[in-house]
Amino acid sequence: MNKDKIFKLAKGFRGRAKNCIRIARERVEKALQYSYRDRRNKKRDMRSLWIQRINAGTRQHGVNYGNFMHGLMKENIQLNRKVLSELSMHEPYSFKALVDISKNAFPGNKNVVIPPRKVAV
Amino acid sequence: MALLCGSASVTFPSSSFPRHTHTNTSSSFAGLQFPLQNLSSLSLSSSSSSSSSNTKPRTLRIHCQQEDSSPVPVPVPVPPEQDPRFLCVEPEPRFKGPDIWNKTWYPKAADHVNTEKTWYVVDATDKVLGRLASTIAIHIRGKNLETYTPSVDMGAFVIVVNAEKVAVSGKKRTQKLYRRHSGRPGGMTVETFAQLQNRIPERIIEHAVRGMLPKGRLGRRLFTHLKVYEGPDHPHAAQKPIELPIQDKRIHLQR
Repeated sequence: MNKDKIFKLAKGFRGRAKNCIRIARERVEKALQYSYRDRRNKKRDMRSLWIQRINAGTRQHGVNYGNFMHGLMKENIQLNRKVLSELSMHEPYSFKALVDISKNAFPGNKNVVIPPRKVAV
Repeated sequence: MALLCGSASVTFPSSSFPRHTHTNTSSSFAGLQFPLQNLSSLSLSSSSSSSSSNTKPRTLRIHCQQEDSSPVPVPVPVPPEQDPRFLCVEPEPRFKGPDIWNKTWYPKAADHVNTEKTWYVVDATDKVLGRLASTIAIHIRGKNLETYTPSVDMGAFVIVVNAEKVAVSGKKRTQKLYRRHSGRPGGMTVETFAQLQNRIPERIIEHAVRGMLPKGRLGRRLFTHLKVYEGPDHPHAAQKPIELPIQDKRIHLQR
């Protein structure tokens, strides 16, 4: 009974792990552990993907992600990163308007100190 | 969401569902009170009628503990908009189709066809090697696009011409070493940047870009989107390549 459940979960595994109970049991236990861990990792990965997409979208308009989010926080715009990334892909004009709002609120770091560059020989 | 926006040109998609008004709860609760009052009057009238007519044949009557308790209240028909059981259920959405706002977009096969990708061309004359390779790798991987997906090849093709004229700063021309090993003992070959540039100049840029692309199956496929040529000509005029936009200000060698 338990063997059937294990083999049902072991579908698609490589080699003997899908056919032989001793190996399948180990692999299925590991697979369940991975799925437990990855249900939590998925949330992190998705947020990272949204941030990368927003970064690409804002850099096309000359602003990087950090300054853009700072400007939005200053204006108390509470759109989350998922929605912002979807806007940057599907609604480019609305996204450009958001970038303009952010630029008005936070034009950028004017007090950045650039360390002196060593002269190339 | 609190959105302060002064420009009238903002067009947000109106996909928000109509919010439920909570004014009809008061009327529904008031409506429920009425049946109880009605039932109390009904029970009194029924008891009075049974006591007066004793000559009727005795019909079986089930007595329960609470004699005065009212029978099951008849439900007053409530219109579906004010039914308290369905107040929190969302109405039918206006747009029928895939939900693009609550699910993160993932590209379909038609979104990354190789024949419709952009082709870029860049001249490597007097450009610093690493900075050029970094820009090329970003465009090949697709990290400059909002539709970037790490598991899918969304990037563009890049052609590099004049590869033998790429520059490095400092003493790297004579001191930077390129190593390879054949796998056998004593099989390591070392050559300098200058020697490799004389022998196979394309390999310098290929080596640099390959180090900046992901290592794996997808990375190897991305590497095939890089085309490096020695002179100023390239055979890809039919793809109509455009100039690669370079944001790096320090990419030109400063003498």
